[in-house]
Amino acid sequence: MKPSEWLYFAVHPSQLRSIIQWKVWHNPVHERNETAEPETQRVCFRFLDQTSRSFSAVIKEVHPELLLPICVFYLVLRGLDTIEDDPSLPLSTKEPLLRGFPDILNRNGWTFDGNRPEEKDRNLLVEFHNVITEFQNLKPPYRVIIRDIAHKMGNGMADYCIRAATEGLSVLTNDEYDLYCHYVAGLVGEGLTRLFVEAKFGNPGLLERPGLHNAMGLFLQKTNIIRDVREDHNDDRHFWPKEIWSKHVDRFEDLFRLEHREASLNCSAEMVLNALHHVDECLFYLAGIREQSIFNFCAIPQSMAIATLELCFRNPAMFDRNVKISKGDACQLMLDSTQNLRVVCEVFRRYARRIHRKNTPKDPNFMKISIACGKIEKFIETLFPSQTAEDARRRVAGQTSVAEDAKRKADTETRGDMVFMFGILFCVVLVVTVMMIGTAWLMGARFDLAFQELRQGNWPTPINMPPGRLRHGEL
Amino acid sequence: MALTSVLITGGCGFIGSAIARALVEKHPECSITVVDKDPPGAMHVVPSCVSFIPADLTSPGEIREAVLRVRPLVLIHTAGLVPALRDRFGRALESLVWNVNVDGTKHVLEAAKEAGVRAFVFTSSCCAVTDDTQAPYPYINEAWPTSRSSLIYGESKAAAEAIVLEASSSTIGTCALRPSVVCGPGDYQLLPAIHACIEKGETPYVIGDSLNLWDVTYVTNVADAHVLAAENLISSKSAAGEAFFIQNNEPIAFRDFCLAIWAHFGHTPPFQVHVPIALAWLAGLISECLTWVTGSTTTLSRGSVKDACSVRYASGEKARRILGYEARVGIEEGIRLSCEDYARRLGVELRSTAGEE
Repeated sequence: MKPSEWLYFAVHPSQLRSIIQWKVWHNPVHERNETAEPETQRVCFRFLDQTSRSFSAVIKEVHPELLLPICVFYLVLRGLDTIEDDPSLPLSTKEPLLRGFPDILNRNGWTFDGNRPEEKDRNLLVEFHNVITEFQNLKPPYRVIIRDIAHKMGNGMADYCIRAATEGLSVLTNDEYDLYCHYVAGLVGEGLTRLFVEAKFGNPGLLERPGLHNAMGLFLQKTNIIRDVREDHNDDRHFWPKEIWSKHVDRFEDLFRLEHREASLNCSAEMVLNALHHVDECLFYLAGIREQSIFNFCAIPQSMAIATLELCFRNPAMFDRNVKISKGDACQLMLDSTQNLRVVCEVFRRYARRIHRKNTPKDPNFMKISIACGKIEKFIETLFPSQTAEDARRRVAGQTSVAEDAKRKADTETRGDMVFMFGILFCVVLVVTVMMIGTAWLMGARFDLAFQELRQGNWPTPINMPPGRLRHGEL
Repeated sequence: MALTSVLITGGCGFIGSAIARALVEKHPECSITVVDKDPPGAMHVVPSCVSFIPADLTSPGEIREAVLRVRPLVLIHTAGLVPALRDRFGRALESLVWNVNVDGTKHVLEAAKEAGVRAFVFTSSCCAVTDDTQAPYPYINEAWPTSRSSLIYGESKAAAEAIVLEASSSTIGTCALRPSVVCGPGDYQLLPAIHACIEKGETPYVIGDSLNLWDVTYVTNVADAHVLAAENLISSKSAAGEAFFIQNNEPIAFRDFCLAIWAHFGHTPPFQVHVPIALAWLAGLISECLTWVTGSTTTLSRGSVKDACSVRYASGEKARRILGYEARVGIEEGIRLSCEDYARRLGVELRSTAGEE
């Protein structure tokens, strides 16, 4: 650790505590067995580490049944992404590759080295045959799901690339924004959910409400788009919908100018508001997960996302540099996201309240943000009611609940125990006293004389302490 | 069965007149009569096609005569006495409030039975449950009990509601609607009191964590709910004998509600001072003593401190399921419309930037 970090932790001991707690106490639900892995699998996990720092840790703790399917799924999507993202590839190369990706998954030994050298995941495609081998070793139902999502996403990306080449690359309306996020993230949510349900780790009802897994993806994607606005702007990529930013500034680049700071803060607040609308569906989705490692896998990114939104909300720094939640907070979030839904809801409530506190009436969306925060609290209250009608009825009737009765009973018992112990103690003291006095009497002590002296006022005085000395305490 | 004739008690008041307007809009063929002790005024507009009968709720004779003269199909009983903020937490008005809200309701109900009224909709209040300030009320529903010992208003509404719901039978269907705090054009209690804080310089003081959620209802939504309830009681009758919480279903922090109103009037607190609840309670006590000595009025009292910090919002599920009620005017728009109306009454221009796209 650098000295600056030491200093930081000296001032923020709770952050250090979270990190230590996470490192010491977190045991993966499932650990992957590296020794038994064939070479192609090892390559896949290596790529996973390289392409996604944040996700790889969570993926690797997933239940063994879904460990490889999710890893391969992720790498397939990453492969698509690497083709789509590369500005050096002409549309004539890109489009057939994107649309034909499901077939590529069938072609043993397929690799691609057409990416420009600076493309960071270039090697993934150069050695893509490893992924294909692993894909073909998966159970058939998993293959169907992964291929289907690759098909949908590849086509979505191809359409997007064509539009970018003909009409220019910009997201205009909020609907287009949602659609874009659906293609890049909502579909991932769909694929993962189908994998979970197939493996019996998720409630099949999750598939009947596609809005839920779409929300999971949109919430994460929108958070990233909000957080990365500076970085994306530097790369000349713009994902904030014009429908939102045009309300606050005339030109998108004005968001980064100091003289428009207030407007840009209001604009980012509206972006956060837009993302907050997905929160209750995300929490509802998490309620449908039945396996702990899958729950962790889903909940950790969501908790990170709400914390990131809180970090960005009315934070001018996000327009100057890339903001990130601190390591200590991240560890605390991971601790809280690897338990159960109630704890995750607490996280959401905590961060929603922080956003709520930072909300200001100077913001034109003040009321909408306030209502959105209220809606999150209300939703959590519906999942985990803090009191019931029965409690209220008992309170009004002046009765006590079973729990209170039990507590009162326990209290009475404790008190009884206490009295009993003191009783025993007293008896022991009494017996000992009687025995000592009795022994003294047997040995000839004259108690009658001692009493007589006392009655005459002849109390024993301390020896070696003449009264005169007491007045000169300083000696 | 069609909604042919409706009688509204308190029909010249804040909620009653809104119901009259909603009825005229939705059922133009319906013959509407309002009964009130005062004739329609400028503040609460009653449509011109509506007839008016003067009658005092505390006089059984006047009420009986009015109801028997009209013999309506539906009677909507909104008339009641809501103590002003300074009297809300005391017992000074207890007998008056009881007299109007409980005995008055009895008189109207008796008259309705005698006149052969088929549907009786009673405007209760969420206070029938939530005035018992011992507990918080997050997302409560109709299974929560009403309280017999709370504040004078809540007690009176709980008692009146019980009488009304008990009377539901095959000849007369009754139900009770419990709106939360209501805002809207013509509001003479809530918005003026909050607006007055600007003048008094009370806006920077925040009591507690200021994130406690409240339900507020826009007045036309309350009116919609009454029309829906009336329609239900003369058709499926699935609402008979039932009570319903009615609100905008968008709980908001009470502090934010105030901030939004102040922002409409161009005021943002220049700074914020967070006052711990215990300290505010003490300040409320002192303020009460001072006002008792000087005879002035204040927004600050122990009761108002408790009010401002309490959590009170209900589920709108039952009203949605049985009455088909949903708030047509959102709370943000509702606050804007309320402020515009109050600014007109005060004769001031609104800054009107907050809450607009």
